[in-house]
Amino acid sequence: MSSKLRSSSPLTWLIDPFSPTEESARSDFRPGRGSLLWIVPTMIGIALLAVSAVGWSIDPGQFYFSYLVGWAFCLSIAVGALFFVLIQHLTKARWSVVVRRISESLMWTFPLLLVLSIPIILGMHDLFHWTHENLYDPADSHYDPILAGKRSYLNTPFFLVRMAVYFIVWCTLAYRLYSLSVREDLTGAVDIKAKQRKVSAIGLPLVAVTTAFGSYDFLMSVDPHWFSTIFGVYFFAASFWTVHALIALIAILLQRGVGLQKIVTAEHYQDLGKMMFGFTVFWAYIAFSQYMLIWYGNLPEETIWYRHRLEHGWEMHSAALLIAHFIIPFWVLVSRGAKRKKAILAFMAIWFLVMNWFDIHWIVMPVHAADHAAVHWLSLSCWLGLFGVVFGSVMYRLRRHSLVPQNDPYLSSSLAFTNS
Amino acid sequence: MSTTNTGDARELAVDFHGDEPLISGDMSFHDITELVSGHTEKRTPLGWLAAFAVANIGLLILVTSIAYLFWNGTGVWGLNNPVGWGFAIVNFVFWVGIGHAGTLISAILFLFRQQWRTAINRSAEAMTIFAVICALVFPGIHVGRVWAAYWMLPIPNQMEMWPQFKSPLLWDVFAVSVYFTVSLVFWYVGMIPDLATLRDRATKGLRQKVLGFFSMGWTGANRHWRNYEKAYLLLAALATPLVLSVHSVVSFDFAVSVVPGWHTTIFPPYFVAGAIFSGFAMVVTLLVIARRIYKIENIITIGHLEKMNIIILLTGTMVGFAYITEFFMAWYSGVEYEQYAFLNRATGPYAWAYWTMMSCNLLFPQFFWIKKLRRSIPFMFVASIIVNIGMWFERFVITVTSLHRDYLPSSWDYYSPTIIDVLTLIGSFGLFFTLFLLFLRFLPMVAMAEIKAVKPEADPHFYDHSGDGQASGTPSLTSSHSE
Repeated sequence: MSSKLRSSSPLTWLIDPFSPTEESARSDFRPGRGSLLWIVPTMIGIALLAVSAVGWSIDPGQFYFSYLVGWAFCLSIAVGALFFVLIQHLTKARWSVVVRRISESLMWTFPLLLVLSIPIILGMHDLFHWTHENLYDPADSHYDPILAGKRSYLNTPFFLVRMAVYFIVWCTLAYRLYSLSVREDLTGAVDIKAKQRKVSAIGLPLVAVTTAFGSYDFLMSVDPHWFSTIFGVYFFAASFWTVHALIALIAILLQRGVGLQKIVTAEHYQDLGKMMFGFTVFWAYIAFSQYMLIWYGNLPEETIWYRHRLEHGWEMHSAALLIAHFIIPFWVLVSRGAKRKKAILAFMAIWFLVMNWFDIHWIVMPVHAADHAAVHWLSLSCWLGLFGVVFGSVMYRLRRHSLVPQNDPYLSSSLAFTNS
Repeated sequence: MSTTNTGDARELAVDFHGDEPLISGDMSFHDITELVSGHTEKRTPLGWLAAFAVANIGLLILVTSIAYLFWNGTGVWGLNNPVGWGFAIVNFVFWVGIGHAGTLISAILFLFRQQWRTAINRSAEAMTIFAVICALVFPGIHVGRVWAAYWMLPIPNQMEMWPQFKSPLLWDVFAVSVYFTVSLVFWYVGMIPDLATLRDRATKGLRQKVLGFFSMGWTGANRHWRNYEKAYLLLAALATPLVLSVHSVVSFDFAVSVVPGWHTTIFPPYFVAGAIFSGFAMVVTLLVIARRIYKIENIITIGHLEKMNIIILLTGTMVGFAYITEFFMAWYSGVEYEQYAFLNRATGPYAWAYWTMMSCNLLFPQFFWIKKLRRSIPFMFVASIIVNIGMWFERFVITVTSLHRDYLPSSWDYYSPTIIDVLTLIGSFGLFFTLFLLFLRFLPMVAMAEIKAVKPEADPHFYDHSGDGQASGTPSLTSSHSE
């Protein structure tokens, strides 16, 4: 079975590790024929990345920072989706079975992200101040004793090794969980549920550690002097927050076509909306904890990070984050009705995606442009370009398999799920 | 729905993979009522009296050591110049932490539709309230001039004396008292249908009157249930942020300062995880004994205990990861004071406490990866006690190791507790067990109405399959007062 399932060519493996199985999907679960949903975003994405490449030739420094923001945004989606799948299996969740295939499709973004990380590796000298050799030469005027002390961690070879480890962990787990689920579609083997739980149990601590250290490496070390122990939790909160929005958005998009009709109902949207609401508060809690403790402690080596984000126009970004990442979603999503109306939920889902990007932009960009806050057009083109390609690949994968894990033993509970 | 007709074949698979039943032993609604109510109605068992006597000795020790403290002042404790916070703060944080499981179980697990919570929520909430009472003792007796303890509250007065609003110690007063109030209200509201059941079964006048007063005229009417369930959901939603906020505020006591080892941003979520960890361990300790003595093994099943042990494994690992993160980040920060604080924890004079904490909290719970051990009563009992020893030491390590070697080496000192410190800690367990034993004796220790609602018979369609077509209402609505 497994040999037949596996995709043959390495290029398709990158996009989807399996050969198409939608033929064996029951008619209700068929993804439908329309291909606009993947072609349009992919085309827009490629076009925007091509434009961004032009931007690179004009201002490579800006390009690398903008690219990192867009890439980290896509990474947060993939990490969030992986957490989502792990947690659904571990808690034996029933409500979410009808949307689980969407999250499984999202988490196979990792291999593509690894390929898309090449510009970041090429731009490490611009992105990561700690790659500069003269910082470590005591004779040099740029000698930095603090960074010299961190050199055994922050150095290019070890960075690449760590990155490889993260992606091996993420890709392996995503592959195991995705292949078990797709295989279950075909065979309905009864032992698959137990295997998924086992992989998830082993996977959860691995993903927690790699996500935390990944966030230190890709985002925190952009400002190599600064440190915050909660940073990994912050990145997790943002990722998990975003992925619920994106799952809801994709389900709504699919329902505009022929897929998932009467399968994902207002009940499931309400649950996704609850998680979106809950993690709005959780993100705010983590963001507040980090800010308040640093503000109160008032130690210069910590406050400088916020100092940069509270002057030269960045204070507007900080305020916008508070209002648009927390206060507005909180009040919109607090009501039951808003969570059950597709139009409102879809609007908020897009809002969440924008705000998650804005959050990562706020983390990264002040390092590059401390003295003039602005959203460079390259930041938009890199972000939407990368997201277009990633989103197109997700929609492409969804077309090739049943839209729900059709043989999951909890599927009937999920289909019949109500909130009352 | 067009897809449900494909569900029949799946239904079998659900059974195959389904959880073990929440209530075992084929108990009817009436059996549940009899079993749970019976314990509050029969004559006081001798074993309970013996346990109560022991707990009272503990309480006496607490009262005596506090009286001794009041007479002599805080000099009777082991505090010294750099270590101005000792056992009192450690015990305070320890008890507040214990008090986290109850509200997590009753509020957060309720919102996440974890029906297994119904077997344990009542006793866990009771435990929460008693643990918070124990916790509140310590800041109260730590103020030095106890006759002015009410100054902790912002009470308007002629002297224009106000507490320091910038101090997290004051935030603690608000956070813990709000938590206590909401937990108490939540616990009480949840108990009203059960109190009405006890009232309806009561035969003596006084018992009827007291229970009648506290059950607030509950008749089990449809309208009562509607209001009740709405109130319960709202209280759960209000209590959920409190579960996170209380221990976050407790962590601010440490983290807003610039003491190395205290000032670290992960403290709020890490304290919350630790609190849930220790709280669940305490629930396991108590329920392993209680379910045996009160013969409620069919209600609090091995399956429930296993789920709690999984949460202990999860939160223990989270706490352990936080320890490692702190350690890594202290090194990564390049701040020599931070680096020293953590090195000193692991290798300095208090290394014994640090490694006790590490092995009890991070390493020992890893045994729960093994299903057999998760379901072994003797093992989980030992493990739950080890976890709480570890969590007490965590607070000790945080408080004492960071203080005893501060920025000024000339004032470095070694802190050791006095006998009064130790007796106060032991005595606080006396207070806790006194209250918990009173709860077991006089109140329904299991939420009868709620566990009836998670039995398969409570499903409105349950009797449809058997074909008698009679009972299509919700049995839980009528069961609590008619039996």
